[in-house]
Amino acid sequence: MTVRLADLTAADIAAERMRFPHMFSHSASQRLRQWLGWTIVAGLTLYCLYRFDFVSLGFLHGVSKFAAVVVAQLFPPTGFDNLPMFIKVMGETIAMAFIGTLLGAAFAFPLSFLASKNMTRSRPVQFGTRRFADLLRSFDYLIWALIFVRALGLGPLAGIMAIAIVETGTFIKLYSEAIENLDRKQIDGVTAAGGNGLQTIRFGVLPQVLPMMLSNTLYMFEHNVRSASILGIVGAGGIGFLLADRLRAYELQEACLIIMVLVVAVYAIDYLSKTLRERLIGDHRRREPVDDAVQV
Amino acid sequence: MLKVESLTKSFGSLVAVDNVSFEVPAGQMVGIIGRSGAGKSTLLRMINRLTDASSGRVLCDDAFATEVDVCTLKGRRLRQWRARCAMVFQQFNLVPRLAVMTNVLMGRISYHPTVSTLLMMFSDADRALAIRALQRLDMVSHGLHRADELSGGQQQRVAIARALVQEPKILLADEPIASLDLRNATIVMDSLRRINQEDGITVISNLHLLQTARDYCDRIIGMRKGVIVFDGAPAQMSEAQAREIYGSGGQDNEEEVELALGATSTGH
Repeated sequence: MTVRLADLTAADIAAERMRFPHMFSHSASQRLRQWLGWTIVAGLTLYCLYRFDFVSLGFLHGVSKFAAVVVAQLFPPTGFDNLPMFIKVMGETIAMAFIGTLLGAAFAFPLSFLASKNMTRSRPVQFGTRRFADLLRSFDYLIWALIFVRALGLGPLAGIMAIAIVETGTFIKLYSEAIENLDRKQIDGVTAAGGNGLQTIRFGVLPQVLPMMLSNTLYMFEHNVRSASILGIVGAGGIGFLLADRLRAYELQEACLIIMVLVVAVYAIDYLSKTLRERLIGDHRRREPVDDAVQV
Repeated sequence: MLKVESLTKSFGSLVAVDNVSFEVPAGQMVGIIGRSGAGKSTLLRMINRLTDASSGRVLCDDAFATEVDVCTLKGRRLRQWRARCAMVFQQFNLVPRLAVMTNVLMGRISYHPTVSTLLMMFSDADRALAIRALQRLDMVSHGLHRADELSGGQQQRVAIARALVQEPKILLADEPIASLDLRNATIVMDSLRRINQEDGITVISNLHLLQTARDYCDRIIGMRKGVIVFDGAPAQMSEAQAREIYGSGGQDNEEEVELALGATSTGH
């Protein structure tokens, strides 16, 4: 029986369809579920577009006004005398993000193992750690910053703590997801060689998850530089304070200079973390299989 | 008829395939043997155009209406060529998270408009064809399983089914049994031979072991350091020629040579 499309008659196709109906189409209930799913997504989207006035003349008008405001009132940037100060405060902002992210990663690393189904036998512990992480993440940086400003006073320390707390929650989730997607075979290999729990983690788990964790951490660092820039609005240190101040005083052109410093800093961080990621993780391009059995 | 003319591939200063020429008449089953690193994989990949040749030509007269130089194909014609010159890999190269049936239907994508294939809209005829191919490899009962639920031997059979629904003129196999146990290796090689004989599809297979090539192929091409050092019927190969293909002169890999030569040198 050759496999050629031209040899298949309509009767053959109908016969195969009779014998293997599931290889031709989903069952009626599966199709119904798919159809329902798509209908809900589409309906929700349409409702939101309508409810939030996306589909209105007012929206179009607002967009054109926004463009006019940006062009006319932000440009050209002024306040270059203050540029060294802006840059120094930007540096402080980046430092806040750095320390906050590092603390978050340090807290989250051990906890993420507790939060992983495949690492923690006790279901309550695993579930509890997960919910604890959700709790930390469920308030935005700004809320935590407000709380820490009350507790620790105005200044960068409150901002750092806010970032560290939220990041602990985020990293527990991201790390434990990486851990749960582990390839079991490598772990079995190490266990079979007589490894205990910690040794298995060191040799079977870390080599697999570390690149993923590192990549997540670097990405969140970038993200936190942006977050740290607005924490100043509530007095938790960083360039946000200056920006909010200029915006409130309608010194939009000076605010524009601050925004430019911010954009340049974010670009730089983005570039640096990309370079770092490539250095530390290496590229995963498949190489040509190397002659392993016979070396000349 | 497939004609390889002075095909060369160099990676920097390393010449992986060095001025190789041979002709394969339609319907032949050819085994290419040689040590790891002899250039066998690179040669097959150049024929399928997964790798571009540095110089030389690959002429084929039965894939398109006229004879074409495969090395010059581009775009749609290139993709058509790849479909007609199917490839089976050592590591099977299925998509593990997709169902077996979907993996096999992938062999049909070059025959349809992009949009319909992206939406997985395959015709009933395609599906019936995929079922036929799976039946041929005795894998139809696994059609709805995910590819990563299968054993290595089963995955390779699915990969061959995928190659079959491409309706190829030529089937290239790059060390198809190197990752399989003896029983599965036999099943896979038997399938390739059956496809070659019953469908008249030319099969060109890289093989590490001489004995496999002797058992299954009409013709053996021996490669060493990128050069063809033997080309003929299995029976024509002498013990000395076989040793030349695998040997490096040093003592350290004598065991490796004996292993590759297999049954020929057991009495040695």
